[in-house]
Amino acid sequence: MEAYLIAIAIVSAVYVLLALGLTLQYGMTGIINFGHVGFFAVGAYAAALLAEQGWHPLPAFLAAGVLAAAAAWPLGMVSLRLREDYFAIVSLGFSEVVRLVVTSEKWLTKGVQGIPGIPKLFTGLGVGLPNSLAVLAVLLLVNGLAIYAMRRIVRSPFGRMIEAIRDNEDAVKALGKDPARFKVQVLMLGALLAGFAGAFYAHYIGYISPDQFVPLVTFQIWMAIIMGGVGRVSGALAGTLILMLFLEGSRFLRDVLPFISEVEMASVRLGIVGLALILFTLYRPGGIMGEARRT
Amino acid sequence: MISFAELALNGIVSGLVIGLAALAVTLVFGIARFANAATGDVMTLGAYAALSGAGLTGSLVLGGLFGAAAGAVVGLIGYWLVFRKLGGRSSVAALLASIGVAFMIRAVMGVAFGHGQKVFPMPMVRPWRILDIRVHPNDVNLCAVVLVTLAIVFAILHLTPIGRQMRAVADDPSLARVSGISPQKVMMALWALAGAVSGVAGTVVGIKTVVSPEMGWELLLPAFAAAILGGIGHAGGAIVAGIALGIVQEVATPFVGFTYKIALSFVVLLAVLLVRPKGLFGTVAGAR
Repeated sequence: MEAYLIAIAIVSAVYVLLALGLTLQYGMTGIINFGHVGFFAVGAYAAALLAEQGWHPLPAFLAAGVLAAAAAWPLGMVSLRLREDYFAIVSLGFSEVVRLVVTSEKWLTKGVQGIPGIPKLFTGLGVGLPNSLAVLAVLLLVNGLAIYAMRRIVRSPFGRMIEAIRDNEDAVKALGKDPARFKVQVLMLGALLAGFAGAFYAHYIGYISPDQFVPLVTFQIWMAIIMGGVGRVSGALAGTLILMLFLEGSRFLRDVLPFISEVEMASVRLGIVGLALILFTLYRPGGIMGEARRT
Repeated sequence: MISFAELALNGIVSGLVIGLAALAVTLVFGIARFANAATGDVMTLGAYAALSGAGLTGSLVLGGLFGAAAGAVVGLIGYWLVFRKLGGRSSVAALLASIGVAFMIRAVMGVAFGHGQKVFPMPMVRPWRILDIRVHPNDVNLCAVVLVTLAIVFAILHLTPIGRQMRAVADDPSLARVSGISPQKVMMALWALAGAVSGVAGTVVGIKTVVSPEMGWELLLPAFAAAILGGIGHAGGAIVAGIALGIVQEVATPFVGFTYKIALSFVVLLAVLLVRPKGLFGTVAGAR
């Protein structure tokens, strides 16, 4: 039971890291990133491949984050100057292309077979409970640092600038500032967090393959931050909690209702995420705790 | 050289399909003003409806009409239940809701028809040889279907009052409104038209390849790329760009491989946004 709870906590912490990145991008700056899973994948594959090369986890994790952020740069440069839904399309396309590349470049990523046997972290402490707890502790530390940094950002001139961009981009332009520059920076910061999340995920799960990085993951994170309340760190936390309850709950539902096959359950899960996205944008754009204000 | 001609010919067929999908995207983008991510899954739905229709009636033509009708009905339902209520909200809301609609359609298709691939029962026919180039009669028929669909759509857009009203709303919504054009009527016509076009596109893809729950979603990126390349809201541009994209995809396949076909439309998309964001035929105001 403890092992199960710790496993859930670790996966939740990975999702929180993703949700924080998206909160920074969408909630605070208004960037419609529909390709979050692409940056997550870049981080996961970078960490897995570097571990295969015998890199120490610390530089490998940093490289995973930096690579994900670097992948965000050209995307932002090309499309964040244009109307906001163009970036939604481009980012969605980016995440699909990342999946295509890791599927096709078999020499590097083993294609659909995926990369097995990614080493667990902190195995020196003892395999099982001790090293899982250590992973969880590090993840919580990284999450804490990210939250601290985001709180600092919100209170800084940079934070006021990105919130102004979210609220009225034209006004920011009229003041002689270049919104695109700030948006690219925010995009890269969010991608950095997603890259770290990917690295933790790869090392914890131990096996990655292209079908773990489908757009559904992106929109589960969207569902989480919208349910929790857009633009607030507490919203990202609450939303991720709901998301995990939903994902784990649907797993238990299969135990109770064995006549539903795994593929059918995948369809049901997809449908519920879709329904949640529709209902929340229609009736509760401010999240469960937010009032029914209009965006 | 001859195989290239065959590839290009193949490209025209898939390009016409991309063009149809891009037409559905660009109509909604131009009039309802958001990128409708549910377009691909409405295509999937159209293909399944056509498959069932063809199975019931034994006629592919009737099946195709089933596909178009199913697309139109789902387009109208989506508008009435979701997008109608999002009018006046930011485009993020409509975008997210369209993703939700897409997921729900795919979920229903997955549960109703299973995840296996299905094929249309097509008679095997020997390809014609014209100037030593192999031409499949099926492809010719599919091209004819797409061209007839396009002719109908353009006739509706340019020869009927509702089409004129749709174009007026696309040009300037407030001016259209003060001229006495009912926005609701235009929107319903738009969603029915875009849905029917998606349904036909899905049917054609299903006949040419296979029907599976993911088929439409995989065509979404090429459709978006063609819509932007053609210039948002420009119906003719979407078709031209779709055909161009289709030919480029097929001709490039020997060099980049089969899986990178979709990636190619991403590259085209980035290139267009970098060099000419308004697309081939669009206006600057649309892109910024």
